[in-house]
Amino acid sequence: MSKRAGGPAAPPARLAYRVLVVDDDPDMVAFLARLLRKEGLTVETAVDGAEALARVSATSPDLVLLDVMMPGESGFDICRQLKGDEATALIPVVLVTSLEDSESRVRGIEAGADDFLSKPVKREELIARVKTLRRLHDTRKELESRRLAAEVQRKEAIRKAFSRYISPHLADRIADAAGEQGDPFQGRAQRTQVVALFADLRGFTRLTEQNEVGSVVGMLNEYFGVLTEAAYQHDGTIFNMAGDSLLVGFNVPFPQPDAAERAWRTALGMVGRFAPVAAAWQRRHGLELGVGVGICTGEAIIGNVGSEHYASYTIIGNPVNTAARLMQMAAAGEVLVCGPVYERIRHLLSGHRVAERGDVTLRGRTEPIPVFAVKATEAAAV
Amino acid sequence: MTKTSLTVTVAKDLADLIPVFFKNRHKELESLRAALAGEDFEQLRHLGHRMKGVGNSYGFATVSEIGKRIEDGARNSDRGAIEPCIGEYADYLSRVQVVYE
Repeated sequence: MSKRAGGPAAPPARLAYRVLVVDDDPDMVAFLARLLRKEGLTVETAVDGAEALARVSATSPDLVLLDVMMPGESGFDICRQLKGDEATALIPVVLVTSLEDSESRVRGIEAGADDFLSKPVKREELIARVKTLRRLHDTRKELESRRLAAEVQRKEAIRKAFSRYISPHLADRIADAAGEQGDPFQGRAQRTQVVALFADLRGFTRLTEQNEVGSVVGMLNEYFGVLTEAAYQHDGTIFNMAGDSLLVGFNVPFPQPDAAERAWRTALGMVGRFAPVAAAWQRRHGLELGVGVGICTGEAIIGNVGSEHYASYTIIGNPVNTAARLMQMAAAGEVLVCGPVYERIRHLLSGHRVAERGDVTLRGRTEPIPVFAVKATEAAAV
Repeated sequence: MTKTSLTVTVAKDLADLIPVFFKNRHKELESLRAALAGEDFEQLRHLGHRMKGVGNSYGFATVSEIGKRIEDGARNSDRGAIEPCIGEYADYLSRVQVVYE
């Protein structure tokens, strides 16, 4: 049970410097509390180690004045426990010991004490030590709050810079990782397993021929808008947007064990989200349009490519080229996938029409690869 | 015969704590006597240590000084050294007068 020492109660102040006085002698507690309160500090008291630990845990004081000789656990034991706990290790502990007791001071240092106060306690010494520790405390808090503010600002800047290219969720992860591992976009190029998805618009050439420039740009923005939403929904990273094609990578820059499944769901989302847009365009312009998608997996090189003045985060390699070829082969509303991707997503394909295209030799490739065509059904394409 | 009083000056801001302080010192005196009667040197050492710490914190140097001698005597289990200290403490408590400034 905690006892408040006599004297005028300190006004409740949330930002007041809070001191926990721990001593089994009620007169010593009353004396220390009186002097500290006179200095405008908020004081709590405890009469033994167990109560001290409970108080620290409940109120997290800014300073602990801890008597060494107490019944039960000694001040050394309590100090050691406080310093050994990550949550309380930074709370300064002043051990109150006899002036001539040099052995206690050595033991106190070993237990992690931050300072010592001699008994009998001299008023000036008590105040001077507490003021010094308070200054250190205030400086530490100020530095910590500045560091946190700078960190928030830096992360916000990273989020803002990347959120146009990747999903908000990935931007958050990059901002967080930037504090721990460095910016994942600034690292050296690396070879890694990726799933590449290419999508483009069937009928785009006719669209550009039949419409005014301003109108084409507006339609493209609408088209890329729905494709980007689908990519971000499944945490894909957009690597390239050129003409009417979009390249999205998975398993980069962060590992995604379900990368193939994400890519498939993204493709499905693109087809499904674009369907009402295509229907509206057909009514307005009489154009037959649809999204064709190619997906392939394999090892690729990821890194910043460019010059000192301009660089882009780029994905290069066979899976990208193959996905591009598959996309070119895909009809509107069709998703063409290579064999390894098909194996990973086949459990998701019930309700969709799947056609085995057999081993296909793609342009630019010498070896044929197994290709599967999936026609997303209206009901399943969401 | 009236005993000569001993005057100790204590800081004014501690004035309201002093009655409780002396109440506890008188209790302490009884505890010292009981511990001595039972030759409980561990308890005597503890009480002496406490007197040493608290006495001069409030301004009562004699309490700390007697407490130190009791603590030292108890460490050596020296009843002969402790007994006069307790007598001296009783005498001190009966004569001490406090002024505040």
